[in-house]
Amino acid sequence: MHDPALSFAVGVLGILVFLAVFGPLLWRKSPLLPDLGASLQPPSRAHPMGTDDVGRDIFARFNEGAQISLAVGAIVVLAGAVVGGAIGLIAGVTGSWPDTVLMRILDAILAFPPLILAMAVTVGLGAGAVTASVGIIITTIPYYARLLRSDVLKLRSQLFVEAAAAIGASPRRILLRHIAPHTMPTLLIQSAAVFGYAILTLAALGFVGLGVQVPTPEWGTMITDGLNYALTGQWWISLFPGIGVLAAVVAASIIADRARDILDPRGQYTFV
Amino acid sequence: MLSKLGGALLAILGASIIAFVFMRLLPGDPSRLIAGPLATPEAIEATRQALGLSDPIIVQYAKYISNFLTGDWGFSFSAGESVSTLIGARLPATIELGIYAFVGSFLAAVFFALAATYRQRPVVDGSVRAVSFFGLGVPPFWFAIMLLVVFFERLPWFPGPEGRLSPGVEPPPSVTGLYTVDALIAGEFGTFVNALHHLVLPSIALGLAVFAYLVRLLRANLLEVAREPFLVVARSKGIRRWRVFSRHALPNAFLPTLTASGLLLAQLIAGSVLIEKVFNWPGVGTLVVDSILRQDFAVVQAFILLAAMAYVVINLVVDVLYGVVDPRVRIGSKAE
Amino acid sequence: MRADSALAGSTTDGQRPPDDVVLSVRNLKTQFRTKQGVVQAVRDVSFDVKRSEKVGIVGESGCGKSALALSLLGLIEPPGCVTGGEVWLNGRVVSNLGERAMSAVHGKEISLIFQDSMTALNPIKSIGDQIAEAILRHQGNVGKRGARKRAAELLAEVEVPNAERRLVDYPHEYSGGMRQRAMIAIALANEPDVVIADEPTTALDVTTQAQVLDLLDRIVTQHQTAILLITHNLGIVAEFCERVVVMYAGRIVERSTTMDTFHRAVHPYTEALLKSVPRPDRLERAPLASIPGAPPDLANLDQGCSFEPRCFVGRGRDVCRERAPDPTTVGPPDQPIVSECHFAHERYERLIAEGEA
Repeated sequence: MHDPALSFAVGVLGILVFLAVFGPLLWRKSPLLPDLGASLQPPSRAHPMGTDDVGRDIFARFNEGAQISLAVGAIVVLAGAVVGGAIGLIAGVTGSWPDTVLMRILDAILAFPPLILAMAVTVGLGAGAVTASVGIIITTIPYYARLLRSDVLKLRSQLFVEAAAAIGASPRRILLRHIAPHTMPTLLIQSAAVFGYAILTLAALGFVGLGVQVPTPEWGTMITDGLNYALTGQWWISLFPGIGVLAAVVAASIIADRARDILDPRGQYTFV
Repeated sequence: MLSKLGGALLAILGASIIAFVFMRLLPGDPSRLIAGPLATPEAIEATRQALGLSDPIIVQYAKYISNFLTGDWGFSFSAGESVSTLIGARLPATIELGIYAFVGSFLAAVFFALAATYRQRPVVDGSVRAVSFFGLGVPPFWFAIMLLVVFFERLPWFPGPEGRLSPGVEPPPSVTGLYTVDALIAGEFGTFVNALHHLVLPSIALGLAVFAYLVRLLRANLLEVAREPFLVVARSKGIRRWRVFSRHALPNAFLPTLTASGLLLAQLIAGSVLIEKVFNWPGVGTLVVDSILRQDFAVVQAFILLAAMAYVVINLVVDVLYGVVDPRVRIGSKAE
Repeated sequence: MRADSALAGSTTDGQRPPDDVVLSVRNLKTQFRTKQGVVQAVRDVSFDVKRSEKVGIVGESGCGKSALALSLLGLIEPPGCVTGGEVWLNGRVVSNLGERAMSAVHGKEISLIFQDSMTALNPIKSIGDQIAEAILRHQGNVGKRGARKRAAELLAEVEVPNAERRLVDYPHEYSGGMRQRAMIAIALANEPDVVIADEPTTALDVTTQAQVLDLLDRIVTQHQTAILLITHNLGIVAEFCERVVVMYAGRIVERSTTMDTFHRAVHPYTEALLKSVPRPDRLERAPLASIPGAPPDLANLDQGCSFEPRCFVGRGRDVCRERAPDPTTVGPPDQPIVSECHFAHERYERLIAEGEA
């Protein structure tokens, strides 16, 4: 593979996944128990990423945070793809009034800046990891749905689909066997981009206090924790979780970019 | 034209329903949320009356909308003021920051997109692409903190998180509410420099995502346009290389970026919520974050609907503007 | 120096061409660096164009015609590069001029009519502005208003109806034929000495094609402009050009008068090209011949004649496989045929014998 950027991205994601899965097993310091005697220690051998204001080991919290971020990213991708994809397929295949109604609903969702809508959902449903995920999922649905719908509309007029209809294949069969498989590249490109978007938005929600709640270590809330200490010399509290978010999101967007180059050379699919 | 306006109205209508659903119907008791955690039973009852929670849902929604449209955005228990007054007082700070962030990132994006594509030097191009990946992937609030760590705490080049002016510096007499502009109007040059100095780091933090998005878009468009034969034809007329690039290639590359304006505004709105708090910038974003922390949801609710409306309006404006600027979609253009 | 050089061939390196030669190309070489290797798009091309002469350049697509056009203009952009040779224009070398100096030559002495007028015009500038831009570049003293007036005159001259009113229209508001006319107006705005027309009518339907060609013919004749017409359409060449240059795999394989090209095709490629054109004027219904095989990969050229693998004369012969042929001059000295074929003399003599029989 002669693609240094892609190798870098895959490598970074690999490291984060490794830390999320095996980190808590190999680095056995508690991410939750305060140790006031060891508060605000800079990175050292005992604490590779230092400790926070109540003496919790930031590396242990970082690993825990990786778990949460990657899990939420994966859940958002799956749920968004399934719900948004289904809406797009239905709208594209049925056409006429269900299409119009669905598209109007999606337009209403798109009327919000994504982060603001996610905030609205978490305010309404109460802050937390689950509601934050729901909020983020809702913001991704229109993008999935619109892309798939336009894919379906394009595919519907293709010869092989018309040929299948001409030999009497049922609409259901045409949808599942002839149309759905061809929307996979779109879904893959979109999903890579959404994965990064979800992690970034989760951190943003955490930062404003609407995401994962304390004391659960989440990268965004960890950055908030460090806000009051960053300017008095304790930069490490905010630094490392921020690098975690940055690494995950950049890796995801590089992968999305490369997937687009490979799967969609003409470049019709883009996401915020 | 009318259909675009209709579409925008429908979108705002839908958005208001969504906001209404999430803000009013789902949580246990909205009157408790809006009156605040420390409210007395009487205060909660009063809020319930004001919100008309015993009315049918349709009536509640109608009341919600009419209140919003008449500028009655509710009452903030934590500030003891009406939400409209609060937001109105904070808006100029947010707008001033937004303008500087946008103008700065726009100019930077044009410059770097040109550097990346003109004569296609791979090293420059690679660095610009890397910066755009960074800008789109970095959490803005974290980037803001790191800017402060480096350029305030380590290197004392810029002021710390102390808002729009240094302590002790009086704001200029208010005309526009934008300190830099007002200071110039009043002829207070010292205040102008102070305000500008305070704007630098927040603008960079807020503008980074906008810059990253724009530079990426412009670069791609420029590379696309660079292959167009009309550039060779322009050269064959005797037009110099740079002029062909700036007068023919650039305008063509710019046009499609107009459609991204809505996204850029969304970036700025979301960014201001995330950034302002870090710099203690006394704008709407800080107000919203503080209100969330104080469970003062009247403010949050108004802000969410306002953001949606601003977003829809800018998209509509861009749609109309595109028709004016691009001859190919110009409204009422005479077809063959 | 060969005997034919002053007439139909090319002048030798470093020497000023005769006064009646307006454009002289000597040993021009152009390469493109690609992932597949260095593509030699133009390989050692030489020819002359006299004042107000109409010369056709024909060949299959991908034979280097368009690369040659851009090389002549000095507008080859990276990854392409002119690696050798000279271009003489109006008695001086222009191929070594810098960007600034060359831009003073563009439009004024040599200009370009591009193939697809939809992509060759800036979609967001009005036609009037695009013509005026060319005028103002070289006749700045006429001023904006003067340029506009002149643009309207030019549009009228290329027979765009309501020229004055249509100045403000954009390219998409013109029909294909009208756009091509506007393109011609732009190219001729400063009365250049040479116009390079790269497939000027290919994108048009047949009737429009004829109209635009007639117009082009009339205008270059009136203005005494020399024209280099690049095309793959031999019919157009037969009607329009006085002399023909046949290109194959980046080289000129044959050059002669139009009459000779069509009736005494010495190079086997020229003959094959002619046979692949439908001839409704011929009574016998012979099957339309196609040339077997494909043009060679310009990134991997063999040492022999590049047409050898497809040639019905030389295929398999050692001399053709091993050595690239030199230009050979045959025919009368006042109308020579220069052909890059090892068997040029034999073939020419046979053609003459057949003609007399």
